[in-house]
Amino acid sequence: MDTTIIIDSLPSLLKASIMTILLAGISVVIALFIGFFTAIIRIVKIRILNGLANAYVSIIRGTPLLVQIFVIYYGLPQIGIALDPISSGILALSLNAGAYLSESFRASILAVDNGQMEASVAMGMTYSQSLIRIILPQSMRIAIPTLANSFIVLIKDTSLVSVITVTELLQMSSLIIAKTFEPLTIYLMAAAIYWVIISFFSNLLDRLEIRTSKYLIR
Amino acid sequence: MSVIQVNNLKKSFGFTEVLLGIDLTVNKSEVVVIMGPSGSGKSTLLRCLNFLEEPTEGTIRIGEYEVKAGGKIDRIRKKEIRELRKRTGFVFQSFNIFPHKTAIENVMEGPIVIHGTKPYEARKLAESLLDKVGLLDRCDFYPAQLSGGQQQRVAIARSLALNPMVMLFDEPTSALDPELVREVLQVIKDLALEGMTMIIVTHEMNFAKDVADRVVFMDNGVIVEQGTSEEIFQSPKEERTKKFLMNVE
Repeated sequence: MDTTIIIDSLPSLLKASIMTILLAGISVVIALFIGFFTAIIRIVKIRILNGLANAYVSIIRGTPLLVQIFVIYYGLPQIGIALDPISSGILALSLNAGAYLSESFRASILAVDNGQMEASVAMGMTYSQSLIRIILPQSMRIAIPTLANSFIVLIKDTSLVSVITVTELLQMSSLIIAKTFEPLTIYLMAAAIYWVIISFFSNLLDRLEIRTSKYLIR
Repeated sequence: MSVIQVNNLKKSFGFTEVLLGIDLTVNKSEVVVIMGPSGSGKSTLLRCLNFLEEPTEGTIRIGEYEVKAGGKIDRIRKKEIRELRKRTGFVFQSFNIFPHKTAIENVMEGPIVIHGTKPYEARKLAESLLDKVGLLDRCDFYPAQLSGGQQQRVAIARSLALNPMVMLFDEPTSALDPELVREVLQVIKDLALEGMTMIIVTHEMNFAKDVADRVVFMDNGVIVEQGTSEEIFQSPKEERTKKFLMNVE
């Protein structure tokens, strides 16, 4: 192993990590929206939308992410929807994570004791008032650990976007290896950077979990 | 005029008939205690009064406000049911206070959301109600930091905050440790002295003797007999009542 290779390739890898974080960051925001509203649609059982939401979750969870990426990037242009690699990547990652997040949201909303809903409607609140003011704040706390998990998976899944030529961390590693022929060093560096990024975010989310649970601590 | 008027109230879950036609009138400031063996339908009756359970048949009037059972659940009907609920305070066996809100926030929630009270005024109201149930020093505690008895008293204050015409208690002390029962019963007694109209489902015999203007004995979905606590406890007329009282004493 040559230390100069580490020093020389580090700036490029770090720059590519920004793309990885960006992909994960943008996708998770979109996925949170998709996941949240899909969960609400399925819980409230809003007529036609409920069927669509069920189909969406079933299809996404029932197919590999790599296939979804290929369908969006290589398949859609055939019907006139051509997206650049980054947009395709973000779309695929968001749709994928959104389906999993919706399940987390749904489970966490259903996990709130039914007595909470009864108590609030017994006061004369509407269903949505009760959902927004009483149920959701409690379910968010329950959801955070599983949301954190999904986010970590999402960060790792960004590596799959390398197959459609997005120059994120893994793609950059491969490019450097093509020049240096040092796969072990470079891939281990990539692994280390993934580990640092994920540790950072999981730490942050752990803290958020503790903060949102403060009312449960005696 | 009576505060509560229930006519021919029926409720079935699937093929199981739980209430077989209940008629009940409760006058202003009257305290009615409902007793009966488990499965007799007393909790279901109470929950039907504010439509936590949708009755199958019958009418319920609270104050001026009457709702018929069994209609289609549309927007108008939902609003009718909400109006009925606003006039009714409900206290649960399992407290059901909001764990993510402090004691005072629990009490403020109703006035702010339902009546549109300003937070500042809601806080003043909540303080006076928590004072009334003896918890002024616990305003900023979360439910997890309170004992069961304290949680139940917060729940009572929360119901009172909406200024209900009638309070419904569904076995309010059944989930409490024995030493915490008294503090909750005391609060309910105080309310009785103030003239609050109440229907209480409870197994606390002595409390019933103490506070009830009328005891209603239920079994198998019907009201078997009713009368003053002396009439029911000392000289019950019906066989079923006698049997029940013998078993609990």
